[in-house]
Amino acid sequence: MEGSSTPAPESAPEPGPTRGLFTDYPSCPGAYDELLDARGAPRDAFRRAIALLGARSSDELARAQALAELSLLNQGVTFSVYSDNRGAEKIFPFCLVPRMVAWNDWTRLRAGLEQRVRAIGLFLDDVYGPQKILAQIPLLRDLVLGAKLYLPKLRGVRPPGGVRLHIAGIDLIRDHEGTFRVLEDNLRTPSGVSYVIENRLITKRIFPEAFEEARVHRVDHYPTRLAETLRSVSPEDPDRATCVVLTPGPYNSAYFEHSFLARTMGIELVQAADLFVESDMVYVRTTRGPRRVHVIYRRVDDAFLDPEVFRPDSLLGVPGLMRAYAAGKVALANAPGNGVADDKAVYAFVPEIIRYYLGEEPMVEQVPTFLCGRDDDRAYVVENLHRLVVKAVDEAGGYGMLMGPSATAAEIDDFRLRIVADPRRYIAQHRVELSTCPTWDADKRVIAPRRVDLRPYILSSPEGPWVLPGGLSRVALREGSYVVNSSQGGGSKDTWVQKEPA
Amino acid sequence: MISRVADHCFWFGRYLERAESTARVLQVTSSLALDTELTQEQCWLPVIIVAGEEARFLERHGKNASADGEAVQLYLTWDEGMASLRHAVCAARENARSIREVVSLEAWEAVNELYLWITGKAGKEAYESHRYGFYLHVRRAVQLSLGLLRSTMLHDTPLDFIWLGVMLERTGQTARVLDVHHHVLAKVASRHHVVDTALWLALLRACSGFEPFMKRNPGRVTGEAVASFLLLEPSFPRSIRFCVHAAHDCLSAIRPPGASSLPGGESVARLGELDEWVRQRDAEDARAGSIHAVLTHIVDETAAVGNLVSRELFGVAATPA
Repeated sequence: MEGSSTPAPESAPEPGPTRGLFTDYPSCPGAYDELLDARGAPRDAFRRAIALLGARSSDELARAQALAELSLLNQGVTFSVYSDNRGAEKIFPFCLVPRMVAWNDWTRLRAGLEQRVRAIGLFLDDVYGPQKILAQIPLLRDLVLGAKLYLPKLRGVRPPGGVRLHIAGIDLIRDHEGTFRVLEDNLRTPSGVSYVIENRLITKRIFPEAFEEARVHRVDHYPTRLAETLRSVSPEDPDRATCVVLTPGPYNSAYFEHSFLARTMGIELVQAADLFVESDMVYVRTTRGPRRVHVIYRRVDDAFLDPEVFRPDSLLGVPGLMRAYAAGKVALANAPGNGVADDKAVYAFVPEIIRYYLGEEPMVEQVPTFLCGRDDDRAYVVENLHRLVVKAVDEAGGYGMLMGPSATAAEIDDFRLRIVADPRRYIAQHRVELSTCPTWDADKRVIAPRRVDLRPYILSSPEGPWVLPGGLSRVALREGSYVVNSSQGGGSKDTWVQKEPA
Repeated sequence: MISRVADHCFWFGRYLERAESTARVLQVTSSLALDTELTQEQCWLPVIIVAGEEARFLERHGKNASADGEAVQLYLTWDEGMASLRHAVCAARENARSIREVVSLEAWEAVNELYLWITGKAGKEAYESHRYGFYLHVRRAVQLSLGLLRSTMLHDTPLDFIWLGVMLERTGQTARVLDVHHHVLAKVASRHHVVDTALWLALLRACSGFEPFMKRNPGRVTGEAVASFLLLEPSFPRSIRFCVHAAHDCLSAIRPPGASSLPGGESVARLGELDEWVRQRDAEDARAGSIHAVLTHIVDETAAVGNLVSRELFGVAATPA
């Protein structure tokens, strides 16, 4: 799919480089910029909104940025970093210059994301059912059955409502031509949606004129849609269903989001110790005795759901939860076992998965991927490590990665040994020149290009998928960095998805 | 509601109230110590005793430290232990953070701002440069939080648990302040009428009760009138009678006395008995000879109710204060 923002047609008045904050914008060579074209002129779809943003002074922006950060801190919109001390909280760095997505780009993306989620849902049904596709593709069979996150005990269990992938977060990047590509699928407990909504509150306050001009889709109905999605898979009457959010607790890095979602959905936030199972039914301990629970939006990993099944040594989890789930007495969102489909090696097969189950061509591109488990691929990878990005299939958050072009010789040698020792654990991709977005550099007090990605959220009920018209744009705040993860110096931006012209 | 959440609500309320009351007592005592006939120790030792910290404080800071107002304030404001103002604010905030989905956004922000202020540079600076303003800031922030809780949350079980915590904490605070000050003041009293009056007024101020007392007892400041007011006045929101009754109302809303199928029966019965017992007290009980026994009974019963609530409604064996 091509980027929408081709240069303005000859007949249109020449927009020329914009003035104000975007003057002397030092575009990043080889990268597509989300807001400005190669000459530094605003992209057509947002010309007036960008002009309004650019008309602000850097003093105003600095002040607004400081106020926004203070407001996030006071509200406790924070996350904890794993390497920090227990309880240390930081705000998720936020840049108030929004990232924008043109309506025609979004229309295609939305269709492509729905397609991808539908296909992956069918794939999961198959993997935990007849395994037809595995019989057809032996390498995929080996990858799936050997994946750490494949849960053979769940084979044959049909989840309540038939939905496994209630909430998906699919990470997109945009290459040097402006083509959106899926970088990875997050099909277990994708996080970040609370920041989408919180960031929006701030940009609306700071840039009301530009916001109005840009015709932006709202995002604040997400919690309502999520609550409907959860109720829709209740094993009992959805109108009387008790839904809860299950969190590991206040020390989890995403605790703010867990409490945010519970609060905005008006449902209870529980920890494992609040729940117990009796006669295959799940109950929550209340001050008025036990109450039945029908749907659990769990924000804990599979391994910590039920010590009877996953980790007998663990004190975490709810003993008997998987029995209740297998008996169809409680819905878990997302379904356990989904991790097998967002494995980085299985990712390479998603285009085939789409063709296999839907008989359609994939509508959103992804990044061509070398599987080190394939002999030819591995031979190429080990010879070309200096120009590739290598990822361990079972790591996330930007960990377990080699960024070949910027790595030292020692790091490259180390990864070569690791790949040869355990080839199936690794995949490799050519580094994509992630697109940039104008971003506030607080130290230099200027707007500068920084690389971004985009994580849209897709909810699925038995009726099918729904894409939130927005998403989390993560930004690599360090100059020249490609790593947008919040655990490694990334921040976020509001994402303005444009409505269709009236 | 979830038992664990109820537990956090209860302690959130208790710690909020404790923070305000610690700040108030330190503020009032600082003011009293400036122009009193009492020795510094007679001013500050009671504050340490009310906080239940006499042994630990004297052990750490030496026998003479209770005559040092700065040492007492430093200890009760910043100490790492359980009795400091800072600890009360942090504990209130930590409890609130554990139940972010229950506490209203407005109230949460007020509590979180206080926490960020007192753990950050601004709080330290205010303490160093403007002590009175420091205590005032803490008190106002807590009062704002308490007000926001009542005006922005559903008046429902979670708020009942928060308020139960506030009221039980307040009962204990008023009882301890009255008991300790009564004890100390009784020893030095009756030499100068003016001194006496100043001391009883300080006690009233330590309970935010000066103006309400004057409205009930125009110009008649005696030890017995003050004690009687703080113990028995049904309309004063910090009198023991008011607080015990309000706590009983909260607990009865949480667990109606007749609802025998619900947990919490012993708690509500025990608190009901205390409520009734306090109602039957009269001016005789506020006299110097009898008030200590009355207050001791109230403190003990309040603690017992707290433990019963923990066991019956939160499902824990015992909760440390």
